[in-house]
Amino acid sequence: MANRIQINKEFVDIMPQDYLDLVESGTFESPNRGWKDFGTATELIAEHSLCAGCPESIAFRHIMASIPNPEDTVMVGSTGCTSLVFPMIAVHNIHSLFGNQNAIATGLKRALAVRFPDRIKDVIVLAGDGATVDIGLDMTLQSWFRKERFTTICFDNELYANTGGQESGLMQKGFLAKMAPVGKRFDKVRLPEIARESGCDYVAIMTASKPSLVEKVIKQAVLIAREVGPTYIQIYTPCILEIGKQSMEGLQEMRTSEAPGERFKFREFISPEAQSFLDGLAEKKKAEKIAATT
Amino acid sequence: MYNVAEVNAEACVAQKGCRLCIMYCPEANCIQLDSQKMKAVIVESRCKGCELCVVVCDAAKHNAIKMVAR
Ligand SMILES: Cc1ncc(C[n+]2csc(CCOP(=O)(O)OP(=O)(O)O)c2C)c(N)n1
Ligand code: SF4
Ligand code: SF4
Ligand code: SF4
Ligand SMILES: [Mg+2]
Repeated sequence: MANRIQINKEFVDIMPQDYLDLVESGTFESPNRGWKDFGTATELIAEHSLCAGCPESIAFRHIMASIPNPEDTVMVGSTGCTSLVFPMIAVHNIHSLFGNQNAIATGLKRALAVRFPDRIKDVIVLAGDGATVDIGLDMTLQSWFRKERFTTICFDNELYANTGGQESGLMQKGFLAKMAPVGKRFDKVRLPEIARESGCDYVAIMTASKPSLVEKVIKQAVLIAREVGPTYIQIYTPCILEIGKQSMEGLQEMRTSEAPGERFKFREFISPEAQSFLDGLAEKKKAEKIAATT
Repeated sequence: MYNVAEVNAEACVAQKGCRLCIMYCPEANCIQLDSQKMKAVIVESRCKGCELCVVVCDAAKHNAIKMVAR
């Protein structure tokens, strides 16, 4: 059981069961937390109002199970469908004005470093494609140019879902949406490549179809942001409502879109500094394993 | 009327390590593993009736989940 996450005994009888479950069987301070805790431990997300079957919910679950130190993490969200989940997670979070998320995260990360110099404090931005690539692009890029040490996650559903389907910079060329009836005239913005050129030490583009891969990528991105430099993850979380899919079709849509040659085929960029950091981690793990068996 | 998922414990093979529905249900804390019986169980009050669990269970040929009206 967690040590730092405890409940004042005086409050036990008045706190809701969900809260007690989090304290008793949540995964705070668990060194090996991950998706394998699903089904037996209490997850850090309560009931929320995303559409039934929404892949954003799947990705959110996998991410919340994977972040390495939830008790020492502050997440920054923005307006969009994800903002329906943020009030329901058991991790500190800030709702920024639409598009400002990477500016808020910059100040927050710096302030946390001053306030808690001896403690790990991770900052993770999680926002939609409209927030990351259109309205917040200035803040997104400037934080990378300045090599701010936090992770930026973009839930890429290739349109503005929360406001009914407007065109986004990450929408595919030629795509028609309810509120973009002419069809997109420009290419999908190549944000992963831009991220790499703008100073990110780790970049990944993927879907949320494999929890083990999401877990690996999230852990790498958060640890690299902690020790090396900015990291960026772009995850395809199709808006089944806006692309006309049924509630149970989101997973297949993600699988189809990550096939070889498709736009969400898994790709990763790791800077030489980040690679040597990861190599160091792997060596340490190996040494620990050997020490444990001998 | 509202549709929710229901697991047929006899057909569920969670005791052999299957966790597919638990992995892919979009809702947190919604499909639990009964660690005594080693079967998947649905927390009905959290189920949104999306049927994704049925899709992944059927794709693996376990056919252990069906939707029921409430
Ligand atoms: C400053 C500001 N401008 C515009 C809006 C209206 N607005 C709310 S959600 C949204 C779109 C969000 O799209 P995206 O970031 O892609 O997230 P999604 O809903 O697709 O997950 C917009 C334009 C707002 N809330 N605040
Ligand atoms: S509108 Fe789209 S992105 Fe938003 S909750 Fe519904 S399916 Fe998900
Ligand atoms: S996917 Fe089917 S067989 Fe597997 S744990 Fe779930 S209900 Fe049981
Ligand atoms: S129907 Fe959807 S919400 Fe309900 S248990 Fe199955 S996957 Fe989860
Ligand atoms: Mg979007």
